[in-house]
Parts: sequence; structure tokens; C-alpha cells
Amino acid sequence: MIAVRPFPYKPGEHEKEKASNSYLMSLIALIAGLPLPIVNLIATFFFYLGNRHSTYFVRWHCIQALLSQASLLLMNSYGFWWTVSILFREGRVTNDYIAYILTIVLFNAVDFAATIYTAIQTRKGRHVEWLFYGDLTHLLVKK
Amino acid sequence: MGRIWLQALLLVALFFGMYHTLRQVDWVNLLEIRETADKTEKKLGDMLWSMFRKSDREVKDKLVTHSLDSILVKLCDYNDIPEENIRLHVLEKDEVNAFALPDGHLVIYTGLIAACESPEELAGVMAHELAHIELDHVMKKLVKEIGLSVLVSMTTGSGGGEIAKEVARTLSSSAFDRQQEKEADIAAVDYMAAADIDPEPFGEFLYRLGGKSSRMGEYLSWISTHPDSRERGEYVISYAEEKTYEAGPVLGIGTWSRIREQLTAGIPASRSSQ
Repeated sequence: MIAVRPFPYKPGEHEKEKASNSYLMSLIALIAGLPLPIVNLIATFFFYLGNRHSTYFVRWHCIQALLSQASLLLMNSYGFWWTVSILFREGRVTNDYIAYILTIVLFNAVDFAATIYTAIQTRKGRHVEWLFYGDLTHLLVKK
Repeated sequence: MGRIWLQALLLVALFFGMYHTLRQVDWVNLLEIRETADKTEKKLGDMLWSMFRKSDREVKDKLVTHSLDSILVKLCDYNDIPEENIRLHVLEKDEVNAFALPDGHLVIYTGLIAACESPEELAGVMAHELAHIELDHVMKKLVKEIGLSVLVSMTTGSGGGEIAKEVARTLSSSAFDRQQEKEADIAAVDYMAAADIDPEPFGEFLYRLGGKSSRMGEYLSWISTHPDSRERGEYVISYAEEKTYEAGPVLGIGTWSRIREQLTAGIPASRSSQ
């Protein structure tokens, strides 16, 4: 799911810090943003905007962090509005709802662990690529 | 590019695979959620019923209560509805009104019984309220208009009396949404047809009272809180025409006449006649 891959060049100290911060940004926002799922994405997006003219290594990791947040946003938003509808409309918790919430909790937990791991590795200058998001980022970010 | 699609497919399959697997578990029973929800509904129903009982006199006349019970039992028996879950109450009030409370309380005002020209019309109204109970419209309406947290706080003792009054008012004098009313009308026709009770008088009742609502205003709560009664009367009649049933008597003609006479004369609410 996650692999350390070679990068075309050796990033400098400043680049390592910024690239690592792009992941930390989504974690800090995760804590501040609960239960509103959009906050993470906005925070990561603005961090990317601030660094969009930065070096290839920094831009690459900003985009990977942003893409992972975008897909979490989709599944978390659905769970959020489902919860709102139970609180203000349906009033009944169903097996389907609990199963969905558990699924997104598991996916969020995996994403959380992967984000911490990637932030640490990136800070050390290692290039970490995630399944799907890594390849997609290669398509989107040009040298 | 093909690799990315394959990876995307893998992630999507992983997500839905996990969701599907977790759906197989009966979480609601495992976590005793249903039990907690039922307890809340029971407390809420008892609390609201005691409020209505305090403000209006309950009719205990056995001719009235037994007759209405027999209609209810017939509707329940033929539709596999556990009758022990339905608590029928008749209150002495001129208002033409009937409504359902949480936990299966079904309240009928004597004004509504007096407004019915036949026991079939009354059975239609009872079947309509029974449908609201069976389709869980009561709790859905309360959650939508009052909020789940407020309802739970009421049953745990931290809710104020004003909120309880608001909940009572919401249930007795405001309509369900249009879709729920239609669902209850259609289900009422189904219940009646299954119990071999002619559903057409129910449609006629709606149609007739729909025409009176502008003139009689405050006394016709059931109609004023159930909008578009004429339109509803029409679709109830047309839906009833599609049903097959062998209409039999709901109550004996003599019994119905005596009930009407008693209501016109005024029933001593607490009297217990044999």
C-alpha cells in the first residue's frame, strides 16, 4: 500500500521540512476539523497554494496529501450527512449506518497512520508513494 | 494509465467489500440500540398520554370503549399487527380530532366519533392513525420537528414542561408531511380491505369534512391538520375501488346508534356501564 521509492534528485533540508509539513497540515486539520470533514481538505489545499511554485519534491508531496484528503472528504461527507439525517429526520440508527461509520473510521485510521508514517519518512528525505495516489500524483505533477 | 484504474478499482472494492462485510453484523441488537430507542419511545408516549389525560376527561363508558376496541382488534388481527402494542384512548372533547402518540397510543376525541356517519368512517380514521404508528411516522415527525437530543433529554428528566407541551401540540394539532399522509391513507385502505371493512366511507368522510373545514374551523382539527382532504378523499376512493374485499358490518347498527345517542347526550366520562 505504501512504498519508499527513489526520487529523481536528493531533496534539501528546507524541501524535506515543507514536504513533511504538507502531511502534518492534514493531521492538525483533522483534529480541528472534526466532525466537519471539509476542514482537512481546505487546510491542505491552502498549504498547496502557498507552495505551488516550490520545488518538485515539495509540490509532489503536497499533491499526494491533497488527493488523499479529497477522497476521504467524499466518504466522510456522506457519513456526516447521514448522521445529520438521523439526528434531525430519521431518528433510527440502522445496521447499514453503523457498518458505514465503522468502514470510514477504519479508512480514516489507516489514512491517519499512513500520514504520520509518510510525514516522518519525508522529513528524513525519503520519497514515499501511496497505492493509487502516488501514480495519480505522477500524472498531475510535472518536473 | 491502466495501472491507475486498476489501483482505483482495488481501493473502491476494498471500501465496499469492508462495508458489505460489516453490514452482515446485526449491530443494532448487538449494541442494544433498539432497546434504548424503544425505552425512550415508551417513556415519551407515557409522558405525553398523561398530559392529555390530565387536560381532558377519558371516556370509560364500556359501550364506547368496547365498540372501538372491537374495530381496532379487527384491523389488527387481519393485518398481523400485535394489538397489545396499541393503546386506544377516547377523550371527551368536541374537537373533531384523532392522533397517534409514541409507543402506540392512539387517541380519539368524542367529537370525531360524533362527526362520523357510519362505523366504517370511524374505522377508516382509526386505520389511518394505526398506519402512522405502524409506519413509524410518529417518532420520525418528532425527530424532524423537535430533534432527537431534545426528545432524549425529555425522557431523562432534564427537559422542561414547555418542551413537553410543544411536543404534545406538534402531535395533536399539526400534520405529518404530505408523503407520510398519503402513505397512511393508502395503508389504511389496505388494512380495511384486508379486514373486510368497506374503505370507501373513509374517502367520503375525508371528502365531506374537507368541504366543511372552512366553515367550522377550530372544531375540525383532524381535517385542518390533514390538508387537501378533498383530494385525499378522491384518491382514497379511487384506490379503494381497486381493492377486492367482502364488506361486512363493523359494528351492529343498534350499537352504532346507541354510541351516537350517548355522545349527543354527553357521556359521563368516568361512568362504567355494563
